[in-house]
Amino acid sequence: MKSALTWLPTAAIVIVSPVYAGQYATVDEAAKRAFPDATEFKESVFQLSADEVRNVATVTGLPAKPVLWRSLLAMNGDKPLGVVVLDSVIGKFELIDYAVGIAYDGKIRNVEILAYRESHGYEVRLPAWRKQFFGKDKSSRLRVSEDIASISGATMSATHITDGVRRIVAVVDQMKAAGKF
Amino acid sequence: MHATKNRQLPLAIATSIALALASANAFAQSNETQLLNRLEQLAGELEKVKAELKQMKQKQDATPVLIAQAAAPVSASSRLGEGTQLTAYGEINYSRPRRDSSATQADVARFVTGFQHSFNEKTKVVAELEVEHAVKSSSDNGEVAVEQVFVEHRFNDSFGARAGLFLIPLGLINQNHEPHTFYSVNRPTVETAIIPSTLREAGVQLFGEQDNGISWSTGITTGFDLSKWDPLKVEGVESPLRTLHQEGQLARSKDLSFFGALDWRGIPGLRVGAGFTTGKAGHGTKGFLAPNARTTLADVHVQWTPGAWDFAAVYARGTISGAGALNASFSGAPYLVPKSFDGYYAQAAYKIPLSGDYRLSPFTRIERINTGRSFDGVVAGQNVTAYDTETIWTTGVSFNIAPTVVLKADYQKYKIVKDSDRINLGLGFSF
Repeated sequence: MKSALTWLPTAAIVIVSPVYAGQYATVDEAAKRAFPDATEFKESVFQLSADEVRNVATVTGLPAKPVLWRSLLAMNGDKPLGVVVLDSVIGKFELIDYAVGIAYDGKIRNVEILAYRESHGYEVRLPAWRKQFFGKDKSSRLRVSEDIASISGATMSATHITDGVRRIVAVVDQMKAAGKF
Repeated sequence: MHATKNRQLPLAIATSIALALASANAFAQSNETQLLNRLEQLAGELEKVKAELKQMKQKQDATPVLIAQAAAPVSASSRLGEGTQLTAYGEINYSRPRRDSSATQADVARFVTGFQHSFNEKTKVVAELEVEHAVKSSSDNGEVAVEQVFVEHRFNDSFGARAGLFLIPLGLINQNHEPHTFYSVNRPTVETAIIPSTLREAGVQLFGEQDNGISWSTGITTGFDLSKWDPLKVEGVESPLRTLHQEGQLARSKDLSFFGALDWRGIPGLRVGAGFTTGKAGHGTKGFLAPNARTTLADVHVQWTPGAWDFAAVYARGTISGAGALNASFSGAPYLVPKSFDGYYAQAAYKIPLSGDYRLSPFTRIERINTGRSFDGVVAGQNVTAYDTETIWTTGVSFNIAPTVVLKADYQKYKIVKDSDRINLGLGFSF
């Protein structure tokens, strides 16, 4: 029963994801790039309580988002290395699917674009732009035009991904504080 | 036999109950503490099962919420259904000339609405319909136009094609022209007078994007039509190419244009690029005196956004060659076809984040522009010489009340045509 409970929302997330996209990195590739030392990735769903959802919104200054977050726990044997959280945000018009790897110490290991659907603004895919996030954590501003450079011609996509990463960092911090990670 | 059996059943049951009670009583008397422990354990397990059931119900209840939110994250556009989005932007402006308040006017400069629809994972259509100056009728100055309508198909992650009516990739504004993408009330003069944004033509193009930060596009489109030049209208002085573009309106297509554009964004916050479009503009017009005229428009641009700063610069230059005989025929007319015209601007802005989505961005921009730097075919008596280069300073603030909703105010100062000095106010939105 517990297994079914875990997979039900996961399946729901997968099912509702639109398919109109170029696939730039698979989830597995994103996870392995974030944690090359991992011996195993366990699929999991983070569930936030109402208080935790409010905390995330307060900390990030962003609207509340889903209470459930699909993720992969990176393990090296029994030792947790970190987590890869999957999410989607609107770029300018279309959804962008992306993954954020966060180490156990709370620092961002990578940001991978899984699917990009816009006609313009693909530059959020560029490795040089995504590297700006690496090593940042909950103490970072994680805001475009502050510690993350904007992208000429792709301002909305850059802003929304940056906001999304900031939210995920806060979500993982809440999970860690609650002992769920 | 049957009756006897029925009569014996209550007796058997009573005997069994009595024996059971007696047995239970004896058991209870001997194991009372153990039984209580067992009952408490069962009660605990029951509570656990109830909790799990409650948790399952909560998760099932939460799932539809998740689905709804996942399908509609913080949205910049309005989703009409699977694969279809409604888009729009608008600009409402007020302008008050400093030296002639009677020319003060308010204008719904443009309202554009459109949609994008994805047919499958590789193919989409993008369309925008624009109304300029609010009303179009026989007695009004408005304009209704298709701003874009093209089909895009991606061959793979970094290579695709478009066909239809699309924006030519020149400058910083032509492809990204929604009001929140520039700070001033009006678009930079260089990108309206030299690059007549939004410059679009019908054709086909290939485009690509590389992980090293290079993006490119190239294609063949309809071009300019020099036979539309009217030497009696001042519009040709304000923007030489604005009167010649065809925009997919029964476009003359004997002569086609070729365009190319290259951008590099390999360093976060930096964009460096260039583009051009060139093509003949005579279209075999019978008796036309510039049958081999060629129109070329090119630009280089750079934008650098370190932290809260936003620096941008564009240089654009246009040429119309082979129009000497045509100019010579415009005897007595004041406005000849320029051989060359150009302009540049440099701009600095600083984005100050306030609470929530509020953001204040003071900016200043200098532009130097010449829409008639040289002329071919000027004959005696025409009294046409190269125009003077105008300098325009634009200084103001842009105040975002939402990421794509902006209030603007600026002051424009002209060095030569001082009557153009004016205060501008604007409201813009896009989604």
